[in-house]
Amino acid sequence: MFPRKPTNLIVAALCVSIVFTSLGPVALAQKKTAPVEATPPPLREEFKFGDVDLEVLQQANLLDARFERDGLVLTDESANAYLRRVGQSLIPRDLALERVSWKFRALRDPQPNAFALPNGSIYVTTGLMSLVDNESQLAAIIAHELTHVMRRHTYVYNRSNRKKFLTMNVMAAVGAYAPGGLVGAVMSIVTTVAPFMMMATIYGYSRDLEREADLKGVDMMISAEYSPEEMVNVMKLLDKDLEGENIRLFYNDHPALDERIKYLSSYLGSRADRVTHQMELNRERAAYFQSMEPVMRHDIQLAINAGRGRSAVYLAQRLVDFHEDSENLFWLAESYRTLGPRAPQLTEKQLTNSAMKDAAKKRVKRTFEEEERELLATPAGQENWQKHQQKAEELYKRALNAENPAPLAHRGLGMLYEKLGRGTDAVAAYEKYLELSSNAIDRERIQRRIAALKEKLK
Amino acid sequence: MRARLFALVVLLTVCGSHQARAQFLHPKIKSKETTIRRVVVMPAKVNVVRDSMKGPEGMAAESDELSLRVEKMVAEVLSKQKQVATLPATASSAEDDAQQKYNVADFQTKFDDLLPKIMKKRSDVKKGRFSMGDEVLNLNLHKDADAVVFIRGEGKKLTGGKTAFTLLVGGVPAYLRLQIGIVDARNGEVLLYTDPIFPGDPTTAVDRLRKALEKGFKKLPEVKAQ
Repeated sequence: MFPRKPTNLIVAALCVSIVFTSLGPVALAQKKTAPVEATPPPLREEFKFGDVDLEVLQQANLLDARFERDGLVLTDESANAYLRRVGQSLIPRDLALERVSWKFRALRDPQPNAFALPNGSIYVTTGLMSLVDNESQLAAIIAHELTHVMRRHTYVYNRSNRKKFLTMNVMAAVGAYAPGGLVGAVMSIVTTVAPFMMMATIYGYSRDLEREADLKGVDMMISAEYSPEEMVNVMKLLDKDLEGENIRLFYNDHPALDERIKYLSSYLGSRADRVTHQMELNRERAAYFQSMEPVMRHDIQLAINAGRGRSAVYLAQRLVDFHEDSENLFWLAESYRTLGPRAPQLTEKQLTNSAMKDAAKKRVKRTFEEEERELLATPAGQENWQKHQQKAEELYKRALNAENPAPLAHRGLGMLYEKLGRGTDAVAAYEKYLELSSNAIDRERIQRRIAALKEKLK
Repeated sequence: MRARLFALVVLLTVCGSHQARAQFLHPKIKSKETTIRRVVVMPAKVNVVRDSMKGPEGMAAESDELSLRVEKMVAEVLSKQKQVATLPATASSAEDDAQQKYNVADFQTKFDDLLPKIMKKRSDVKKGRFSMGDEVLNLNLHKDADAVVFIRGEGKKLTGGKTAFTLLVGGVPAYLRLQIGIVDARNGEVLLYTDPIFPGDPTTAVDRLRKALEKGFKKLPEVKAQ
């Protein structure tokens, strides 16, 4: 029952040695889950760049240029300056990192997210900038990303992955030429299972780095006089999951949000006790909203374009609560119109992992309009649609009655009436919009709609 | 070993003979209710990676270069094979206009959102199921444009070691797969979808790329001189 042929023995030995090399990282990954020491990121840089790292750096620089070229970077100078100020305040003084040039930019994406490139470019999406409540929460996000750069996580992760991929490929080769019999069967099993273990170590390592970035981020926040509790509050905000997107997969590169909240809360401990005047100032919601109002409006537009109606309503309502002017009322009306027959909030049942997976599958199959038609065929969908169109109409009218009325509200009303089959009202609203906005970018679109409606009304 | 070699030969033969996959035309194109005479080609987004024994590596510069090449080649093939003219993106030069840049970016994103749905059931293009809506008019394209061309692509280049590994053990060979959608410039309807694919190093492909594109647009009716 044991391998007797010398070739079988050699192959079996090779296989065993590979299994050990692949299990090594598992053991290491296990070790790394031990608490990370509470020291600020190193000021003296000891990282030595190899060819592989330089290639990664070059890719990062090209990616920066691509984001810019493709119109993905928000060109709002004040928003980028705000990010820069917060970012710079977190970077330890006298810190000079080789091949890092700090850049802080807002990315036009309604999905709440942030990431760092190893060249020092930190991107925060407009979706995340709009979701957070104050400067300290934004600082928490940036501090996390800064740690990734300071600790050279991208390079370290890339180096580690390369070794693991090589191991996986060697194992695949061994598996492909496994001899027959019991030894062959064992080898086949080992080489089949090993890639899954390697993937687990890859993702496990990624989670460790994320954990380190969370904890070091807390230290950086304290040093820069940002309340460290806000790191936990950001996680709680992200955990809200308005669109049902936080699907837990078999492999996850980030720790689960509830896990992050737990370890961050325990790490904070007495660290959260010291509250300075500056920390209180940095937690001011009104000051943050005032600075971010244009970004938030821009993000609501992006959320509407992406069919993220629930997020749009949530963000626009916050904006109206903060400052009820014509433009903000218009955005709330637009959000309700986009929401259409959808429920404004997902139920607990819809937020279960399996329900979210099913919804994600459906999203790939159905278009936005098809989903809407399907919902409208249900009593709940009809009810939502009635409620939301009434709400939208009321909000458009409020926007038009407010000081400095936004002409866009006429367009919104036109679109709403068109959908409701009120052709004459729609034409009147569209014409009013065109009359008030001579340089409207969507002039041709609206003119065509008017022409089509008039044709129908004949 | 013989069986493995046989499988490899079959794979290469299949890949070699099917450089283009199916093309799907909107009924309006088939019935000639709509004719595509002039198009605007949106900036292509083609991504290639170098697959080595140590995993995939980014090729941002090569991807940018390839994107440009594919964009030009699509215009060339449409012009030479189908007499479809390519127009500049906008009537006015608004390169520095941030709003126009945003509009283009948002519309590209909209196509990216629609693409998985098209790919899920490509044949539904023939039923006229997919549309990007009349927001296409917000792009303020050239007035004479009939359609907008969106190009996406993904490819893989293998290093020497990985090529040898693929030959011995198996795996996905080097390839380039494009996804091209032609959208009505007035109402946003998807008029054509084609996804040519061909094997080999995508970064050096010129003739192979041209042939694949020619096959990809084979069903698109030729514009007759008026």
